[in-house]
Amino acid sequence: MGSVPVIELEAVGRHYEVGDSRVTALHDVDLSVEPGEFLVVLGPSGCGKTTLLNLIGALDTPSEGSVRVAGHALEGAGRKDLFRFRRETVSFVFQSFNLFPALTARENVQFAVDVARRGRPGPDASEVLERVGLATRMDHFSHQLSGGEQQRVAIARALATGNPVLLADEPTGELDFRTGVAILELLHEQAHAGVTVMIVTHNREISRVADRVVELSSGTVVGDGPPPGGTADIASLHW
Amino acid sequence: MRGLALWLRWSWRDLRARWLQVAAIALIIAIGSGTYSGLTSVSAWRQASYDASYDALDMYDLRVALTTGSFADADRLLAAAAAIPHAADIAAAEPRLEVPIQVDASTADELVLVPGRLVGVDVRDGGPHVSGIATVEGRGLRPDDAAGDTVVVDEHLVQRHDLAPTGTLRLSGGRELRYVGTGLSPENFFPVDDRGSVFADFAVVYAPLSTVQRVGGHPGQANRLVLRVRPGADRDAVEREIEDALAAELGDVGLTVTRQEDDQVLRLLYDDIEGDQRFYDIFAVLILAGATFAAFNLTVRIVEAQRREIGIGMALGVPPRTIAVRPMLVGAQVALLGVAFGVGVGLLIDELMADLLSGFFPLPVWEFAFRPGIFLRGAALGLALPLAATAVPVRRAVRVTPVEAVSTTHRTASGGLAPLLSRLPLPGSSVTQMPFRNVLREPRRTLLTALGIAAAITTLIGVIGMVDSFVATIAAGDDEIVGDTPDRLTVDLDGFALVDAPEVTAITDDPMLRAAETGLTLGGTLEPGDDGIDVALYTVDLQSDLWVPTAVEGDLDHDGPGLVLSEKAAADLGVGVGDDVTLRHPRREGVGYRWVESELAVLALHPNPYRFIVYLDDEWASLFDLEGVVNTVRVAPADGVTVPDVQRDLFGQEGVASVVPVTDLARSVRDQIDEVFGIFRVIEGAVLLMALLIAFNATSINLDERARENATLFAFGLPVSRVVLVAVTESLVIGVLGTVTGVIAGRLLLAWLMAAIVPGTLPDIGVVTYLSASTVATALVLGVLAVTIAPLLTVRRLRRMDIPSTLRVVE
Ligand SMILES: Nc1ncnc2c1ncn2[C@@H]1O[C@H](COP(=O)(O)OP(=O)(O)OP(=O)(O)O)[C@@H](O)[C@H]1O
Ligand SMILES: [Mg+2]
Repeated sequence: MGSVPVIELEAVGRHYEVGDSRVTALHDVDLSVEPGEFLVVLGPSGCGKTTLLNLIGALDTPSEGSVRVAGHALEGAGRKDLFRFRRETVSFVFQSFNLFPALTARENVQFAVDVARRGRPGPDASEVLERVGLATRMDHFSHQLSGGEQQRVAIARALATGNPVLLADEPTGELDFRTGVAILELLHEQAHAGVTVMIVTHNREISRVADRVVELSSGTVVGDGPPPGGTADIASLHW
Repeated sequence: MRGLALWLRWSWRDLRARWLQVAAIALIIAIGSGTYSGLTSVSAWRQASYDASYDALDMYDLRVALTTGSFADADRLLAAAAAIPHAADIAAAEPRLEVPIQVDASTADELVLVPGRLVGVDVRDGGPHVSGIATVEGRGLRPDDAAGDTVVVDEHLVQRHDLAPTGTLRLSGGRELRYVGTGLSPENFFPVDDRGSVFADFAVVYAPLSTVQRVGGHPGQANRLVLRVRPGADRDAVEREIEDALAAELGDVGLTVTRQEDDQVLRLLYDDIEGDQRFYDIFAVLILAGATFAAFNLTVRIVEAQRREIGIGMALGVPPRTIAVRPMLVGAQVALLGVAFGVGVGLLIDELMADLLSGFFPLPVWEFAFRPGIFLRGAALGLALPLAATAVPVRRAVRVTPVEAVSTTHRTASGGLAPLLSRLPLPGSSVTQMPFRNVLREPRRTLLTALGIAAAITTLIGVIGMVDSFVATIAAGDDEIVGDTPDRLTVDLDGFALVDAPEVTAITDDPMLRAAETGLTLGGTLEPGDDGIDVALYTVDLQSDLWVPTAVEGDLDHDGPGLVLSEKAAADLGVGVGDDVTLRHPRREGVGYRWVESELAVLALHPNPYRFIVYLDDEWASLFDLEGVVNTVRVAPADGVTVPDVQRDLFGQEGVASVVPVTDLARSVRDQIDEVFGIFRVIEGAVLLMALLIAFNATSINLDERARENATLFAFGLPVSRVVLVAVTESLVIGVLGTVTGVIAGRLLLAWLMAAIVPGTLPDIGVVTYLSASTVATALVLGVLAVTIAPLLTVRRLRRMDIPSTLRVVE
């Protein structure tokens, strides 16, 4: 401890007004994440996991409280700063992949590299795709790929940016055990390399390999600490 | 530069996926800008063609006309002109003899008995050299024609009655003239009869001077002198000197000198260009507005389809400017294609217009040159409109917050009608309900599609409604003039005559007629108008059984003198029945006239749309000091006598200038209008095509947006026919909505055009606002039927749909 946290949430809340009723997706969330941490956010469906990621990724703004990521205070930041922040600080793996349907797998990844690097040399898109096991599918469009393959492209796209914070929404949701493990290993490697990795899942098994598990329930943090029994080896997972 | 290549490849794929829609929008824009270019070209051509035609035939610079009925020795006229101080400035001078004639050019199919003018010209040395005659068919006049009765007929008569290009004409009195060809001459580029009516059926016949002198019984004489002045010479001086010299030469014979630019026909033609252009402008603006709205509507949809991808871009931190590039490229593609198509459509419309113009309007020289300037302007519009139409929705799209943009499903505007509508209880199974739920579930999408269709229908109704209104206005005028006696004829005398003069009694006592009512037709001015309203004053027996004007307001019964005005004139003057108006009119004084003013009450209003028509009871001829003097007779055939019988009977009678069945008058007006409307029909065609494209495109985009849902339906095992039925039903609902909106908006637009634009453009006509049943039917067929069946065109696409692929892409 002692180093500056890369993600810092203070008393963050997010509500939606729907007609007369008010949905509270997040309530009074405090969270502080160190650089290079491999963190899993665990919770049942609808507890506010995606909302949390969206706030950290500056896709959404909190109804109350403050969010700081990599030294950027997100509330009150200008549009331009937010765009720059998304480009250079975070990368997303969406729950619903969100690949560009008109681009091939390679182009989707290359696109992210181009955007994040803006002309500076970045990783080779093909290489990153090879790392997620899609060496033979690089020139395929998303409608030609399985759900799991699309998810791996989405992960490759996030990895390729080389941004310091990686936010993954159910990255293994569509994957079989072996591929899932491989992806987790990839993400783990990123954390070792200094990237802060935040994974959202409702799969308790995955949380076993994390450095730290944050449990959400109905929008509030109900648990925060290393996984019970300590960080497990990825090889010991089964689901 | 890898980045750029990727963007280019990406937009190329976008284009390939959407080329049909892009092409359709481009074509819509092209029809808009092409019609604009085409219509604007028409005015440019007419201007250039008139200039060239007048030039080619050496239109006179000065024209001297002796008072009607006066003649002078032709050589003396020439000699007087040659003796003026500035005689060296005269490039050419030629005498002419023009006499009124009655022409019988009847064919096997048609009785053609028309008044006309025999124009004697100097045919020596290949003349006439001033106001020449261009040969259209057959041959022109030659010096040796002077010996025989050989003439050339004006092309207008031949065209109007479909006469053979050579043949024989009979004049009243029995003389036969052999015409060897047809021709056109500047003073008659548009035939106007001796009373200045442009609607009259009038025959102009050109002959050698000596022939006319012989036929007219004026040997050696002339009554016109036409001159051309050398370029750069002092024409005003020549004009003054000629006027003085001839006045001295001719003593008390009156004469008028007309300059080229004051020529009645020339003024009419050039003014007409301006008047028509104003209408073309209205049409062009309407069509462009419709095209712009449609393009805007469609690009909004295309941009919205990319909404999610824009959101992902934002999540990845792509700057808005860069995100905007891809959707803006769609706009650029539409713009480029729009310009290319626009030139094509413009050329096509040019071609049609050129055909039409040269077909119905004979001129010796037509200049249908391509006008790059006009096309550049049209191209600029075609370029700017789609870019602007894309910029607006793109700007809005990149302002949406990223969470909104990436959310999995289209989140419809919360609140509003959506939840309310969705709760509507609908009968039937869930599949039957589907199309209605689709329509209701997303009011915004429904509204956009419906508005796209409505834009097309509004333009259609606006443009065709104007045509309808003009046609209805003319028909109303016809109906009023024809009244209950369609067998009536109007006999115009060749001048004023006493009511008991033999040439008048020959008509009024004619046993072939069951009725003959004499009257007067005079010019006048109604005041106070803005500048006064010029009117034609007709005296009528307001108690007549033959014909009286309809009184839509007021009563024809009266004690004192009073006028029956058109509703339009009354409205323009701000008067009603019972109010007084000031009529400036001629009053006889000795052998001449003096203009005087009379205060007269408005007795009644008649429904004839022409503002200039004013009636006065014939017992008030005393106002003009013309009691017992007449210049027109309204007649009707006796039992067993036909209208042609009367025409033949009165044709050529002493003092008769023309005998025109009232139904012919109506037809003549309609023929003229039909020619003008030929151009409107081209516009109509363009609008119709545009409307069709808009309707299809709006529907096609709607179907694209439903692709995933349709795939889901297939996944649940619904057959293609069922899915198509759902789509057809949905289109039907949207089509009805759009069409009804369009018809209502179009009707409002039409009302506005008629109230705000047309009166300034056609001050003389009280145009009634009218939308014909067939126009509404066209709109309905187009809006409802075409839109409804549009999904059928996608059956193939649905059959071939790769269901798993479609389902896999989350959009
Ligand atoms: N725009 C919105 N309007 C209203 N409620 C919303 C909106 N977005 C999210 N919610 C609600 O907020 C809560 C949290 O949503 P969130 O998407 O964060 O859940 P989650 O934990 O990611 O669930 P899952 O595991 O199913 O993806 C849910 O109850 C959801 O219904
Ligand atoms: Mg979620």
